[in-house]
Amino acid sequence: MNRIFNWFRQRRLEDDLDRELQYHIDRRMTDLVHSGLPEPEARRRVALELGGTEQLREEVRDIWLNRWFRDFVYDLRFSARSFFRSPSFTATAVLSLALGIGATTALYSLVDQIVLRALPVDHPERLVLIDWIGFQYAETFGTSNLMSYPICQDLQQKKDFFEGVLCRAATTISASTGGEPKLTAAELVSGNYFSVLGVRPALGRLLTTDDDQTPGASPVVVLSYDFWKNQLGSASDIVGRKVLVNKYPMTVVGVAAPAFHGVDVGEVPSLWIPAVMSAQAIPGFTTMLDRRTRWMQILGRLKQNVSLQQAQTGLQPWFKSMLDEDMRRTNVSRASAELRRRFLASTLELTPAPQGHSVLRQGLSRPLWVLFVATAVLLALACLNVAGLFLARGSARHREISTRLALGASRGRIGRQLLADSVLLAFAGGLLGVVMAPIAVRALIALLPHNTAATDLRASVDTHLLVFASLVSLATGFLAGSVPAFQADRKSLDSSLRERGGTSSGGLLLRRGIVTAQIAFTLILVVAAGLFIRTFSGLLAKGPGFDTSSLISFGIKPALTGYSDDEANQLIRRITDEIRTSNSTRASAIARVQLLLGGAWNNSLTIQDRQRFVTDREVQMNAVSPGFFATLGARIVAGRDFNEHDALNVDAPHQSLPVSQTGQRAVIVNEAFVKRYFGGRNPLGARVAMGSAHDAKPDSEIVGVVENISYRNVREQWEQAYFPIGTELSGSNFYVRFRGTPDSAFRSIRAILHNADPTLPISYFRTLDEQIDRSLNTERMLAELSSNFGTLALLLSLVGLYGVMSFVVNQRTREIGIRMAMGATRLSTIWLVLRDALVMIAGGTAIALPCVWALGRLVESQLYDVKPTDPVTILAATLVLCSTALGAALIPAHRASAVNPTEALRFE
Amino acid sequence: MPSSRFPIPQGTLDMLILQILSLEPAHGYGIAQRLEQISKSVVQVNQGSLYPALHRLEQRGWLKADWKESETGREAKFYSLTRSGHRQLRSEKDSWARLTGAVRLIFDEGAAE
Repeated sequence: MNRIFNWFRQRRLEDDLDRELQYHIDRRMTDLVHSGLPEPEARRRVALELGGTEQLREEVRDIWLNRWFRDFVYDLRFSARSFFRSPSFTATAVLSLALGIGATTALYSLVDQIVLRALPVDHPERLVLIDWIGFQYAETFGTSNLMSYPICQDLQQKKDFFEGVLCRAATTISASTGGEPKLTAAELVSGNYFSVLGVRPALGRLLTTDDDQTPGASPVVVLSYDFWKNQLGSASDIVGRKVLVNKYPMTVVGVAAPAFHGVDVGEVPSLWIPAVMSAQAIPGFTTMLDRRTRWMQILGRLKQNVSLQQAQTGLQPWFKSMLDEDMRRTNVSRASAELRRRFLASTLELTPAPQGHSVLRQGLSRPLWVLFVATAVLLALACLNVAGLFLARGSARHREISTRLALGASRGRIGRQLLADSVLLAFAGGLLGVVMAPIAVRALIALLPHNTAATDLRASVDTHLLVFASLVSLATGFLAGSVPAFQADRKSLDSSLRERGGTSSGGLLLRRGIVTAQIAFTLILVVAAGLFIRTFSGLLAKGPGFDTSSLISFGIKPALTGYSDDEANQLIRRITDEIRTSNSTRASAIARVQLLLGGAWNNSLTIQDRQRFVTDREVQMNAVSPGFFATLGARIVAGRDFNEHDALNVDAPHQSLPVSQTGQRAVIVNEAFVKRYFGGRNPLGARVAMGSAHDAKPDSEIVGVVENISYRNVREQWEQAYFPIGTELSGSNFYVRFRGTPDSAFRSIRAILHNADPTLPISYFRTLDEQIDRSLNTERMLAELSSNFGTLALLLSLVGLYGVMSFVVNQRTREIGIRMAMGATRLSTIWLVLRDALVMIAGGTAIALPCVWALGRLVESQLYDVKPTDPVTILAATLVLCSTALGAALIPAHRASAVNPTEALRFE
Repeated sequence: MPSSRFPIPQGTLDMLILQILSLEPAHGYGIAQRLEQISKSVVQVNQGSLYPALHRLEQRGWLKADWKESETGREAKFYSLTRSGHRQLRSEKDSWARLTGAVRLIFDEGAAE
């Protein structure tokens, strides 16, 4: 360490040593002269005693810095000087490395943050996600890996396997700390949530099991550190103060540790609320204790000596008996025989969850890995390019190196010099890459889907990333430098000295190999780009099945600011009327579930046609107001739309459907539904019932068939059933087809909402075009990035090919001259050169195609309407690559054909 | 220049330097002179190896150096022992004593036979 420090104060050390030695010499001289020695003799004596001052200095310098390091630093200095002398070479090399390293680092940053990083809790490696595999026969609120609260309580008793079991559900509440209420992300958690994770408070206390005993009895919240800091100005007297959660007062008991952001990297909660307060946190939610309502994710902490496998096996007997018991104690027994069989065949699965649970991760890890592999390939390409550049430069420096070897430099020493070259370049590239990476990360984060919750993703460079980038740079440097170093090592000394400048054949085979590999890598990336572009454009062309232009949607949640159902209904009716009569509105309608957001309301349906049967998979349902399809521009292909009489009464939210005055219920299904369950026959008049219970009464008549429109996302086409929206309008999604510009429409709608209630929480407000954009985020990210990578790769390998071909032509100038003197035509000369390039291109293609086939599986799930081995895409990519590569080779080939035979021969 | 003096054993130079500096701080030339006197022209110290040794000891943290005015009025680099230098000297003296003791023991045994 000290020695590295010495490197920086070398100048001072040198000065010191000089003065010190001078002092010695002067004193000795004086003494010797005093003792009677003549001055020249004295000087000789002194020099002899010290044994040569320059040698002495060297010896001392070796103490300051060790030899190897010092030489390496000299090498680096030498390299730096030579790089400054050839700026274009340096710029090309550094830029290609910076691109490769920057892209890889940026992608790694996301992979690390989203996929790899463990939660900042005690021993995250012992956390497991507990999930029900099979059919739960339950109503679903939420996204994935959901189970009921009572099952979590059961699991908490399994103390043989777990130190603790927690459950959590993400939700959005309106929170007010004195001012206007704001929509805020919150997490409903079991009381032991913090103790199981091992999180400590920054202030006050965290939730305990005492806070999670009786429904409605524990109005307490824990704030996140960031919320406390940003929204409450780090108020030190926060403990004991009240926060209004959906207008319901709850007491702040503490603030969580700063580093802790919940268990989901994609959805950071601002406050934690005990699960027993779910009725207050989710208006209208009353089924917390119901075993047939799945809404929470369950995470467990394994006991010290229990393996995941042991726990999973050990839990199955209990799970089976629980299933049997559930059969009796809940309404599962009323399900059809098939569903009962599926219910009983369920198993419990444990998966490691050191990173917690994240929907974002589930959706993105595959695309991220795909992109990460692509950047790694790109980096390899950049490496190869730099190696090629080095080889080209190596042959230019050939004589310098040979001379050094002849003067007695060891081969290792020369190799080290070349390595210093590449390490220096790689670090310059790495540095630039690290500077660029955060910009890239920020752009990538912007491409990801968002909602109310902040994500925990950061575009900052942390030590983790720096370590990664420097490792990558170092590896890159060694990889790019080892090829020429190896090359230098092999050269025979006398043969290279005998060669004339520019005629060395050294490294040509190697350079051809490099270009072949580059072409192979490039083809892989270009094929990938082609596949993702076709996927994205295919989805764009398919669209959601309705016209999205001049369409706005927004959502309001009156229940979160304390509106009762009745009041909310009146409010929504008022807003609906005002929007309908507004000048800028052409049509408007309401839906219960938002389109194109990834979620859906799913349930099985019992169909009474000629016979009674239950849908073999869950149907996607929505409740909509009359005119919904007309607003979207979706055609009713048979029957009729809902009218005002279809939806008048409703018994209870969640379960039942609205009934009209005549006691009649109506339903509209889509074409996919008709195709699957009616084989294309006319379904009008058939009856359906919600659910699959034996005693379900099919009393909703199919009154219409609508064409297929997208629901969860553009990609999916599913069976859909629409019900008239009832009076359970606790929250609503409005769809408005407007006249004029979006801006004026936004303004007039905002004015209407503000008039109705200035404090009304608006959960989102955007055009449908934007909504589609968002829903195709991942596909766009893949298409954009992969085509960028493909273009870059193409450029890099074209440069490589061009370089090699130019080199070959230079080298063969004489030969070509002789051939032309003997009567070869220009065309045959061009062919002579192109043939060389063709071999490399064909070789690269031959290597790439099996790789494309093998890598296809990695991307298959990301594609739409195109196979990973799609012949058209592969052919097109190959054509693009071959034609551009031939173009790059044609320039040197043309130059070859322009060789003047007499000049070429005189050259010798 | 043939000499009747034998060269200083490997590794003892460091110890001698520490010993000299444990009495008082000195500059390089002063140490050279002291060595010359102490060894009474029995041990030959190559002056060329003195400075690398000083810098090595300084690098290890056993010596520290300051520029101070010397007896001639010119600035010279004075070396002095650090705390860990004192410790090092003690332990080197110790092991030296043990080594010479052991060697003597072996020689005596040889003489006794």
